[in-house]
Amino acid sequence: MKPVPFTHEIPKSLQLADKALTGDNSKVMAGGQSIGPMLNLRLVRPTTIVSIDQLDELQTVHIKGDVLSIGAAVTHAQIEDGIDDVDLPTMLRHVARSIAYRAVRNKGTIGGSLAHADPAADWVSAMTALGAQLVIRNAHGKSRREPMAGFMRGAYRTALQQGDIIVAVELPTAMGKALWGYEKICRKVGEFADAIGAVVIQPDLKYARIVVGATEDAPLLLDDMAREMARTATAPSLDEIDGALAAHLPGASRVKRQLLKTALSRAIAKVIPS
Amino acid sequence: MKVIVTPAAANQSISLTINDRPETVTVPPRTTLAEILRDHLDLTATHLGCEQGVCGACTVMVDGRPTRACLTFAASCEGATVETLEGFKDDDLMDRLKAAFHRNHALQCGFCTPGVLATARDLVERLDTADEVRIRNELSGNLCRCTGYVGIVESIAQVIDERRGLGLPSTGAPRVAREATTGFAPFDADIAERPPAPAVSSGTMTVEDGWSVVKREVALNHSADAVWAHFSDLDAVAECLPGAKLTDHDASTFTGHIGVAFGPITAKFEGEGTYRTDDSSRVGTVAGRGKDRGGQSAVEGELSYTVRLAQGDPDASLVDVGFRFRIQGMLGQFNRPELVNGFVDYILAEFVANCDAVLSGGEVRESKGISAFAMIRAVIGGKLRALFRRT
Repeated sequence: MKPVPFTHEIPKSLQLADKALTGDNSKVMAGGQSIGPMLNLRLVRPTTIVSIDQLDELQTVHIKGDVLSIGAAVTHAQIEDGIDDVDLPTMLRHVARSIAYRAVRNKGTIGGSLAHADPAADWVSAMTALGAQLVIRNAHGKSRREPMAGFMRGAYRTALQQGDIIVAVELPTAMGKALWGYEKICRKVGEFADAIGAVVIQPDLKYARIVVGATEDAPLLLDDMAREMARTATAPSLDEIDGALAAHLPGASRVKRQLLKTALSRAIAKVIPS
Repeated sequence: MKVIVTPAAANQSISLTINDRPETVTVPPRTTLAEILRDHLDLTATHLGCEQGVCGACTVMVDGRPTRACLTFAASCEGATVETLEGFKDDDLMDRLKAAFHRNHALQCGFCTPGVLATARDLVERLDTADEVRIRNELSGNLCRCTGYVGIVESIAQVIDERRGLGLPSTGAPRVAREATTGFAPFDADIAERPPAPAVSSGTMTVEDGWSVVKREVALNHSADAVWAHFSDLDAVAECLPGAKLTDHDASTFTGHIGVAFGPITAKFEGEGTYRTDDSSRVGTVAGRGKDRGGQSAVEGELSYTVRLAQGDPDASLVDVGFRFRIQGMLGQFNRPELVNGFVDYILAEFVANCDAVLSGGEVRESKGISAFAMIRAVIGGKLRALFRRT
């Protein structure tokens, strides 16, 4: 239960982080609450770890114009508790407080969680539902933006290239006024989710999105269902949800489908009174 | 096979404050805070259980916040202020908690108690009022196998009430109450058409006697003859399996290795196996066993495939691909079997896509696996032309 020997760099700036990451087998760490267990189990065997969660430039949360920007190294606990003078959407605070355990939330970061891309993690589904954009910096210091939808390619697989660092997560500030539902089912509080359902409706933005998470793969977007739900302002029936899940997840067991259906129908009930 | 030995990273000197005392330890970077406390400073009240952040036994205060000491590596402790159960000198809330734990039988074997007390100390400070459901939920990250939590929950609730009685405010952020569901007026949502996700081949994933079984039915736009010619050639099959490399084989046995990269997880299984093909029924089976030395995991697996004619199209065929596997050791202990299944499913999809590419006269696609594709590409073209001449 000891990781392989590694060198541990804690750079003082993003430029120095870029430099530290040039190694062939280097790994970014931004809290270490997911990669830590994998290191201890030797499932991950890097030669260099570069910690970026202490960088000030990744800790800022601010609103510029109509965009809310959350630094990648902001911890789940900070979001749970609310950030001083920034009006965070209530959905974020709700999602944050149900992530793992407080001791983990004190260290784990939003950017780290998104980069790690565990299918059962909360932020990948929640941020996809909210239509978030990621600000990603590459090894040459160039920034690009990628929408959360499509960022995750599969379990632990994302659009990130070696040397890429997630710098911030951006949301339209109008999402603070969105109607939302976020429900997850876990065998035990704080455990990895067995099923996640997320719904975000923001009529002012003509925005409607339904996300099914913890599918063992990237979050699933049910766009047709979202479109229909917005158009009729009525909730889909359980059979309709089941049919959509069966079509999109042909390999899922009946138990898994039942869990996903339950989580999603509960999330929808938070948006449309039954 | 060359074994790469990583040189031990140089020791680092780490200065931190523990229980109000400045300490400096010189340790390798992979040392965790829990090990610094227990092995270097003889502070053994901090216990190690799972070492993967689940059980909570190692929870200590770092800069005033409960933190998993098993997931905190040495360099991250530089300059930190750590409080362990040996500390909390003149800490009124901790003294009250200890008295309450004593009073309410909140410990039996005591193994989890140091971590539970750290969590409890944080809760009595943060929670405004004693709410049993919330306290139980917050304790879910500290496993106690003895008490059933009754005494622990009772103790925390009592000390929260004592704190309120003393007129001390809670430090936690109030929880925002959700507004009641109101519904919304219908509108036309502006949803961009996304390109449809790649078609998922039909398949199932089940567990039989501890073996995971992944089955897929794959359609290929190539004649069954060509597909079978490809699938009955072990070299060609291995080349299409991402990260696989045969080192040696005869008519029915082989040795080789397969490297897998699954997000941050990498493993290289080295081993041997057997294979057989039956031209009349067009069924092939490859069975193998391998060990990943670095990660101390072992895998046993059997890949089987049956090539069938597709109805109504002589230039199309169906392949039933099945993979049974069992993983033991660390990778198995990781306790997320569904992810391993998903990963195998991904590997199978890559395998099928590679077979398709090769049958179309192309090359094996780039893969993110740790593979010898560069070398393979050099030989594959020649080999395949030979293969198609046979058909």
